[in-house]
Amino acid sequence: MQPRKVLVVDDSKLMHKMYEVMLRQYPLVYALDGRQALDRLQEHADIDLVLLDINMPNMNGLEFLAQVRNDGAHRDLAVIIISTEGREEDTQRGLEAGASAYIKKPFHSEDILEKISQLEKGPSA
Amino acid sequence: MTERSTTEAAARPIPGLDLVAELRSTLDRVGELARIVELNLREAVEHGGNGSADERVQELESRLSTAESDVKELASRLVDSEHQGGRLMNLYVATYQLHATLDPAEVQATIAEIAINLLGAEQFILLLRKDDAADYEIALLEGMYDGALPPYDGESYTGGDAMVDVTLRDGVLRLGPTPDSQALAAVPLRVQNEIVGALVLLKLLDHKPILRAEDRDLLDLLSAHAASAMFAARLFATKDRKLRTLESLVKLARGE
Repeated sequence: MQPRKVLVVDDSKLMHKMYEVMLRQYPLVYALDGRQALDRLQEHADIDLVLLDINMPNMNGLEFLAQVRNDGAHRDLAVIIISTEGREEDTQRGLEAGASAYIKKPFHSEDILEKISQLEKGPSA
Repeated sequence: MTERSTTEAAARPIPGLDLVAELRSTLDRVGELARIVELNLREAVEHGGNGSADERVQELESRLSTAESDVKELASRLVDSEHQGGRLMNLYVATYQLHATLDPAEVQATIAEIAINLLGAEQFILLLRKDDAADYEIALLEGMYDGALPPYDGESYTGGDAMVDVTLRDGVLRLGPTPDSQALAAVPLRVQNEIVGALVLLKLLDHKPILRAEDRDLLDLLSAHAASAMFAARLFATKDRKLRTLESLVKLARGE
């Protein structure tokens, strides 16, 4: 199922612009850190997918993810971590924290679109 | 027999004549059908209907092979197009964001974001020429958490990396490392053919082993746009500051 709304969480305005161009087909909501992202989730009940950076001020991506997974309302929210942290243990930590997928920056746009497509098809795909 | 009786006989219907006409019409239709069947048979022979089954199978296999080859070529072209689209998107977004602000700090942040997020640089330095001196201001120093290494450990850069020094002189983008330089890339920053600084890439992220061909486009873009964006922002900031000072003076003179 296509996400109704996608939440982009990244402290880089360049990346916000990148996602805006890349994901024209989806309505996007933006946040510059984890705290803002929690607010956006409260404001927009129709967010189905989060594209999440890790290194951010105030509240980083993993802290945000921990809060989201502890919150019953967003337990099943799809979250793709997109980060420059590219070591195997970083990927493992992200997935164990509850991310649906982990993509390393810099990325090709096909990588993101393919992951979103996989999530749209569901776990059986 | 009289003339009258002859006319009456002709006017009388001859039994079975209509059946003969119907028979003729039916024979005509049979003839037409026979011609169609003959034509179909000839066509079937021409198209191999009488050829061997093996020949037909071979022909179909050949067609299938051609179709598969076409599909492979199209898939390859699609991948190339997607990559090309991705490269263009990176260039568009980088250019857009560099010129989206007139705040020098934001332009500098955008240069850093391009280096980190699009090029995959972990350690890099932005050098900008000082207005009133021969050395270069170290405007950005990223990723050196244990302290900057020589020759970038001072207040400013006065030279010391051979590749960077040559690039600052002749404005040519160079890729390293070389025996006398640790830099992976020295990107000259120009404003109207004047070299005003350089972006020096020293280390890439571990999962980005080398600079790829598409990264060269981004380095060229930075060379052409980063300095002009920074120059415009600094000029605007200076003029804005002067304008505010003048406005304050005018208010003071008016006694406001």
